[in-house]
Amino acid sequence: MTTVISTRALEKRFGRTVALDGLDLEVREGEIHGFLGPNGAGKSTTIRILLGLARPTGGEARLFGDDPWRNAAALHRRVAYVPGDVSLWPNLTGGEAIDLLARLRGGVADRRTYEDRKARLLEAFQLDPRKKGRAYSKGNRQKVALVAALATPAELYILDEPTSGLDPLMEQVFNREITRAAGEGATVLLSSHILSEVEVLCDRVTIIRAGRRVESGTLPELRHLTRSSVAFAHRAGQESELAALEGIHDLAVDDGRVSFTVDSDRIAHVLPELGRLGVQGLTVAPPSLEELFLRHYGDELSPVGEGATR
Amino acid sequence: MNRLAVLLGHRMRRDRVQLALWIVGTAALALMATTAVADTFGDRAERESILRLTILAPAILVFRGTPNGAGEGEFATFLILAFLALLAGLMSTFLAVRHTRGDEEQGRAELVEATPAGRTLPTAATVVHGVLANALLGIAVALAFAVSGLPADGSAVAGAAVAATGLAFFAIGLVAAQVFRTSRGANGFSVAIVLGAYLVRGLGDALGTASEDGLTRTAAWPSWLSPIGWAQRTEPFAANDLAPLLLSVGVAALLVGLVFAFQSARDSGASILPDAQGRSHAGPLLGSAIGLAWRLNAGAILAWAVGATVFGVLATTMSPLVDEIGSDAPAIAETLRRFAGETASFEEAFVTTFFTMVGILAAAAALQAVMRARLEEAHGTAEPVLAAPVARERWLGGYAAVATIAAAVVVGLSAVGAVVGAQSTDDPGATTELALRAAVAQLPAALVYLGAVLVLFVLAPRLVIPLGWALLALGAFFGVFGELLGIPEWMHELSPFAHVPVPVGGDVDWTGGTWLLAIAVGLVAASVVGMRRRELVTEG
Repeated sequence: MTTVISTRALEKRFGRTVALDGLDLEVREGEIHGFLGPNGAGKSTTIRILLGLARPTGGEARLFGDDPWRNAAALHRRVAYVPGDVSLWPNLTGGEAIDLLARLRGGVADRRTYEDRKARLLEAFQLDPRKKGRAYSKGNRQKVALVAALATPAELYILDEPTSGLDPLMEQVFNREITRAAGEGATVLLSSHILSEVEVLCDRVTIIRAGRRVESGTLPELRHLTRSSVAFAHRAGQESELAALEGIHDLAVDDGRVSFTVDSDRIAHVLPELGRLGVQGLTVAPPSLEELFLRHYGDELSPVGEGATR
Repeated sequence: MNRLAVLLGHRMRRDRVQLALWIVGTAALALMATTAVADTFGDRAERESILRLTILAPAILVFRGTPNGAGEGEFATFLILAFLALLAGLMSTFLAVRHTRGDEEQGRAELVEATPAGRTLPTAATVVHGVLANALLGIAVALAFAVSGLPADGSAVAGAAVAATGLAFFAIGLVAAQVFRTSRGANGFSVAIVLGAYLVRGLGDALGTASEDGLTRTAAWPSWLSPIGWAQRTEPFAANDLAPLLLSVGVAALLVGLVFAFQSARDSGASILPDAQGRSHAGPLLGSAIGLAWRLNAGAILAWAVGATVFGVLATTMSPLVDEIGSDAPAIAETLRRFAGETASFEEAFVTTFFTMVGILAAAAALQAVMRARLEEAHGTAEPVLAAPVARERWLGGYAAVATIAAAVVVGLSAVGAVVGAQSTDDPGATTELALRAAVAQLPAALVYLGAVLVLFVLAPRLVIPLGWALLALGAFFGVFGELLGIPEWMHELSPFAHVPVPVGGDVDWTGGTWLLAIAVGLVAASVVGMRRRELVTEG
């Protein structure tokens, strides 16, 4: 399978600040790739390097096997981009901005198809194209950028936290449109810190922190690394038997409920034991990426990460 | 602590540098004018002859004021009062819009209005702030006149006139902030009103009737339509009549009342004029990097074009006057002649001097277009364009092309204006030829600035805006006024304007222009090469 994006030991320094510290990233053709990390992990910096807007200070980045810094313009014919913090021209309307970007991308050769596609997207995202850029709210600016990106076909969509200003209904529309684009064979790099979005859309995920990759794989592969949470009503005298269970962690009794986590591949062994104990009010929460995320970052929550936003 | 005091203190703190610059700058200008009167026009007979000349060319009054007599104080008022009032107007309207619509548009007003301060108290604080600022300005101007040794009563009247005019425009700015949805719209409207008021009273002065001795003039009725006209009616150092200022203060009070009525009735963030809906599709021009650069600069280029045309018309319509000055005021004639070389006639010297200013304007127009690229880069709107198949150097090239067009438009339209103006002179053919040569000669110097700022944009993007303007100001100063001030020759030679061909006499030496053109091309080429290697620099 062809690799669309690959970076190797990618490094970017701004003076003393290290934004990227040897990042490896691989995105294959046709997949929706989640690019996860907390604020300041280096997601936007990576994307700016991939777009040839910034030059790496070390390592290597490849887009369609080519150098994005040297061949930016040529590569951008195949790419559509949605920035995380959308700035619009204050005195251009949304419609004008969309047309401008589409024309720059050269995607309006078939005028009819473009207009139809744009009209459908404006309708789906419920966007009024006649307002001036300065009059749009954050969410509506985001919609302008999304419509501009999706209105012309692209081989690769690079989306930097694209849903940060959208309401839940619009997120549904967004999910549908991205799935449609991927269905047409496009590759998507979706940067986010919203895990539910990534879980719904993505085939594979790369998690980065402080400019480095910490985890990468398909969702089932990553879930494998996670634990399910188990909880039930506490009854006196269970402690010794509970303590004897294999593969459980974080055992605690709080507010009359027992809770622990269990490695996802051990759950089938633990459940019969619980049945034998006759526990009541049992809940088992499936492993989520959320938990994986917290495992990687939870201990880092109090001190601020070393990475810098661009 | 009293909430009004808190809001007022906050406004003063935000404005402490900006307002200080406005006030000190305006007072310094007043001081320069009074000093110039003592130095250059110290002789009463000389002042009288200049005032009498305005009967021959009343157009000159548009840029000066109503002549009220030949005393030093009256003459200083004639030279500078209208302009001081204009500055007071600009300071005040910007101040009004900044603290009302500006805050509302940015969403900061909401933060304050959500506190017990409410929706109208911030506006009240702005009103107090504006009144204080104008009072300070008036005092500073009065002091500037008084320390030059002019009578205290006249100085006080001049200061009061400037302050009252500022107050009237302040209220107009507040109204504009209620009417328009954006601070850009409100500022644009207010500036147009201030400039309009300046021109209307200029018209009133020019149409006015001169007294028999030719030393005073009674302005015609248009002056009564303009707050700057009211300021001039006080006739500082002559009549010292404060009554016309009641008009300014009365209008200000009325408008402020109106503003509070609007403010308490409307939603926060809303405006009397709704934000107009634009087009849903882009026009045919808006489809390339250069098309976007054009679109973003078109408004500014239009403004430069209008200014350049007016300038050109003035250059040739006013030139007959200089022969009169030449015989009556040899000092001025000598100054002009230094610009244009010894062989030049007064008229040639005058036209050449005017077109040196056009060259500076053309360079400024080009600079502004390039700086737009920097604003695009800093505000993040360059990013989506460069994420499309647009190479960095082509993106910058678009702005370079538009900047070249801007410079050419300024030079070209000033030439057109000059040709139109030349028809009123004794020898239209010769004046036309002179003006066209003088115009063409300026273009290479303007293009050198374009090239230099492009290189600066590539090398030091964060500094390009302040450094670019500083470079132009220095170049203009060294190149144009350097010889008069006796700066070293090499400093003078650094300025592109020092190498502009002087198109008078039979044999015009164009080599300076050719060199400038070559340097400009070299700089532009260097910036293109440099831009291939530079990454995008967003913030600050």
